[in-house]
Amino acid sequence: AQIRIGLGSGNSATIDYANPRKYEIGGITVSGAKFLDPNTLISLTGLRVGDEIEVPGDAISKAIQKLWDQGILGGVDVRATKIEGDKIFLDFFLTERPRLSRFDFSGTTKSQAEDLQKKISLNKGRVVTDDLLSSTRTTVQKFFQEKGYLNTQVVIRQTPDSIIANSVALEIKVDKGEKVRIGELDIVRLRNGQVMEDEGNLFSRLWGDDEAFTEGKLKRQLKKTKEKKLYKVFTSSKFQKSEFENDKKLLIEFYNKEGYRDAAVISDSVYTISDDRIGIKLVVDEGNRYFYRSISWNGNYLYNDAVLARILGLGKGDVYNKEELDKRLNYNPSGSDITSLYMDDGYLFFQIEPVEVAVEGDSIDIEMRISEGSQAKINSVSISGNTKTSDHVILRELRTLPGQNFSRANLIRSQRELSNLGYFDPEKIGMNPVPNPENGTVDIQYSVEERPNDQITLSGGWGGGLGAVGTVGLVLNNFSMRKAKDWKEWRPVPSGDGQRLALNIQANGKRYQSYSLSFTEPWLGGRRPNSLTVSLSKSVQRFNEYDEFGQLRDANIDISGASVNLGRRLKWPDDYFTLSNSISYFRYNMSNGASIFRGYSEADKIKDANNVSFITSFARNSIDNPTYTRSGSSIGLNVTFTPPYSLFKDGSNSFQWIEFHKWMLDASWFHSLSGDGKLVLNTRAHFGYIGTYSKDGVIGPFERFKLGGSGLGGGSFIVATDYIGLRGYEDESITPNAAGGIAFNKYVAELRYPISLNPAATVFVLGFAEAGNNFGSYREYDPFKLYRSVGLGARVFMAAFGLLGFDYGWGLDTVPGRPGSNGGQFHFIIGQQIR
Amino acid sequence: CGKYNKILKSDDVDKKYAAALSYYEKEEYDKAGALLEDLMPLLKGRSEYERANFLYAYTKFYQHLYLESSFHFTSFGQTFPRSQYAEEAAFMNARSLTNESPSYNLDQQSTAQAMSALQEFMRRYPQSKYMAEANKVYDELSGKVEVKAFNSAKQYYKLTNYDPQYYKAAVVALENFRKSYPSSVYNEEAAYLRIDAQYNYAKESIESKQQERFAEVVTFYQAFIDAYPKSKFSRSAEQIYEATQQELEKLKKSQTVTATTTTNQ
Repeated sequence: AQIRIGLGSGNSATIDYANPRKYEIGGITVSGAKFLDPNTLISLTGLRVGDEIEVPGDAISKAIQKLWDQGILGGVDVRATKIEGDKIFLDFFLTERPRLSRFDFSGTTKSQAEDLQKKISLNKGRVVTDDLLSSTRTTVQKFFQEKGYLNTQVVIRQTPDSIIANSVALEIKVDKGEKVRIGELDIVRLRNGQVMEDEGNLFSRLWGDDEAFTEGKLKRQLKKTKEKKLYKVFTSSKFQKSEFENDKKLLIEFYNKEGYRDAAVISDSVYTISDDRIGIKLVVDEGNRYFYRSISWNGNYLYNDAVLARILGLGKGDVYNKEELDKRLNYNPSGSDITSLYMDDGYLFFQIEPVEVAVEGDSIDIEMRISEGSQAKINSVSISGNTKTSDHVILRELRTLPGQNFSRANLIRSQRELSNLGYFDPEKIGMNPVPNPENGTVDIQYSVEERPNDQITLSGGWGGGLGAVGTVGLVLNNFSMRKAKDWKEWRPVPSGDGQRLALNIQANGKRYQSYSLSFTEPWLGGRRPNSLTVSLSKSVQRFNEYDEFGQLRDANIDISGASVNLGRRLKWPDDYFTLSNSISYFRYNMSNGASIFRGYSEADKIKDANNVSFITSFARNSIDNPTYTRSGSSIGLNVTFTPPYSLFKDGSNSFQWIEFHKWMLDASWFHSLSGDGKLVLNTRAHFGYIGTYSKDGVIGPFERFKLGGSGLGGGSFIVATDYIGLRGYEDESITPNAAGGIAFNKYVAELRYPISLNPAATVFVLGFAEAGNNFGSYREYDPFKLYRSVGLGARVFMAAFGLLGFDYGWGLDTVPGRPGSNGGQFHFIIGQQIR
Repeated sequence: CGKYNKILKSDDVDKKYAAALSYYEKEEYDKAGALLEDLMPLLKGRSEYERANFLYAYTKFYQHLYLESSFHFTSFGQTFPRSQYAEEAAFMNARSLTNESPSYNLDQQSTAQAMSALQEFMRRYPQSKYMAEANKVYDELSGKVEVKAFNSAKQYYKLTNYDPQYYKAAVVALENFRKSYPSSVYNEEAAYLRIDAQYNYAKESIESKQQERFAEVVTFYQAFIDAYPKSKFSRSAEQIYEATQQELEKLKKSQTVTATTTTNQ
């Protein structure tokens, strides 16, 4: 595109480029357009007859740009055909180019063609220019080179398309050639100009000179650039230029970490070995290894040198590692650092700069120059990105309050609280402190990204004793009762107030039906974090089985129940503690109870039973993220007790009013073992027992423990029983008598490693070792008599389905009287399990 | 339906365009939109291009795809700044964004965009026939932003029963609200809540800070009673004021006591 004013028209009008002048547009014409409509083109220029423009000036270049942006022209020239007084007549001389009607690939697979289509900017109707062709060619070539086809040739052929006037079709011919792999990789190490060799002696390599790195160790630092070797089946050993550049940086970073501050790649060459093999030679100058000689502090008034030095934890003789130094100064996720010492106390403007004041031989002197600044107070706190969750639900969880001193620890705690709500993508919670140095305040902007967290279960399963069981479940984790009144807010369900509504129906015809409904309001009244949960449940179970005398007996148990739970957060011993109390009432109607609680013949006498119980649970939960936990712990003590009827109703234990007390202790700790925090060790311990109040009191058949398997009560699931998993053994196999045990313990150690931390589907694998036992009476109780097992498994967390898992366990101990219930066992796990 | 698919696959630009217009007339916006989308690159540089662009944006609007309609109305205005439809497009962009604006307790990014689109519209077309409606919509949106800000500030006040450290937070947040929305109708309530929060904050403070913090209550009260002499909160505010006076006197006495004890020594 050019502006040629006063040229070509032969007109005497002259334009002085040095002195722009204002003209009124007297007329606009378009010439050279065969297929395009002149009026539309004029309207696209944004210019109109009567406009006042400056020549030469902005207006005309903008007009050209606008025409050009349409991508339909090959060239645009502007000429002034006439100048009469202060009127100027413009002519847009256009060169039309053929448009693209269609394009095809040859020499690629279908899926490659699809991927390419997304990368190249060929749209139908676009004007085909030389520039477009060459950029297309480069893109295609690059695409295949990244895949290892280094010798890819691309030819684009144009053919006029007869169907649409003035258009061409493109054929993009690709010749990929051979896939090129890295045949040799050679790293030459130079120290003081000398080429280093690997020590031949294994002993000296392991124990001797730890300053020298073997070539193999260096090659491992190149993450994506690998040699092709016969035994390396899973190594791709492609050559990708961008990855290679990145790998060279990684290599230098590795050296820097080890104190080789001056390490540099002084040459790299890539050479051809054969059609499908290339070789790479890298020459690295290692330079000297440096150590700290002294670290001094300057500008610190709040903390003295000794305090700062202790927190830094580096000193004379340590290897100089810039990365580690920065971590200890600025942000150390697994320990303390200097910056958080200040930042947690409001010193937002704190700055620290390590300056190398002297370098002598292999010794470095560092001076820490500190500017402490003044304390910043939080002024305003705002939230963005909450397209579903109401402001107040978020605001009440934040620990950064207006008027407080800024604290980085509070900021991180707020992030944890938001993440634990489960409504937001934990990896995308943003915290942006915006300081206002002029008045010493800071505004904090949080940003969140909503993620789906309602769960729907629709399943049909085969439960051993019951046959086919259908389940319909719905859990709404961010429900809003308030909005439920307004039909417009149903999108598809009323949400955003942080309430929880769970509904579950399970049935298999007449034999088994179960309904449950529960509702939780986490902040009752909106002023305190006191939660209220109301639940209702009803289940019916019918049995007809042969008893020990070969008689067919019908039996049934109906349970209806309701419970109310009030929970609150505690501030003491610390603010991770919660306390909750509930009262529940269950009514059992039974017939032929002994067929249900087999081995418990007393149960035959029970016709109806009432269970009024109080449940208190005292818990501490400090885990960082519920989906893939890396750190923190969760400990809970759960006590259930009924009124002590037997103390005032002499000895009668007709079960009309069930009495027991039940104690459960669950503890779980998480520790990340690897530097990146991904490999996590989870250790757990669980205890439980049931007792009565009177000395000769009998413990009824209800609420007992069954141990073994996945803990889901798979086989012959009976309500009012506590199922606890023990992998590597058959479901419920470790149960001392048929009604269940009255005391159990269980210990678990689990190593976890994530495969994907994508919030849509978090996947991790695990290896475990666990042990547990279940006892029929206190006399038998022995905390060291355990059934042990080891195994492997995987878990998938998907927002819509919750947690699903699969474990293979190997039970190491035989269970007396139940041969074959240990050994290799597969377990399916549904939902997050506490025990 | 068969007819529609045939037209969609056809290469005849004129016939396709005519069909698009007729579907548009019949309010079948999904079909009209799909046809126009197909046509757009082919109509570039032809006289129908401008109108096709404009109608395409409308098809999105009528399908309640307001983010898309906003995008297309805006790009229409940029491509055809001199078009007879430019004014309408600018207004429709603002209306699209307004329809995207959610209830006050959610993220208000769309509201802010709608407000700036309306401002831009009003600045550019002060004589527009849409002016009255634009003003009305703008007032609704700014009201929503105000309610959000007030409720967020009040949220801190609501939590003071749970944790006394929210008293100070409430004072700061309510003051910020007053500064940001000096003419809001909620200022009266905000001013009263601020007195209450400050009073309780002073009461919870350590003795050495109380004098200063109670004095602040007096300042807040005086400002309140000057601004809203007939407020429905004046009775309660007065009670807080009186309690504050008593507290200040108590402090004064204890200070004189300590002062005399020190002088006696």
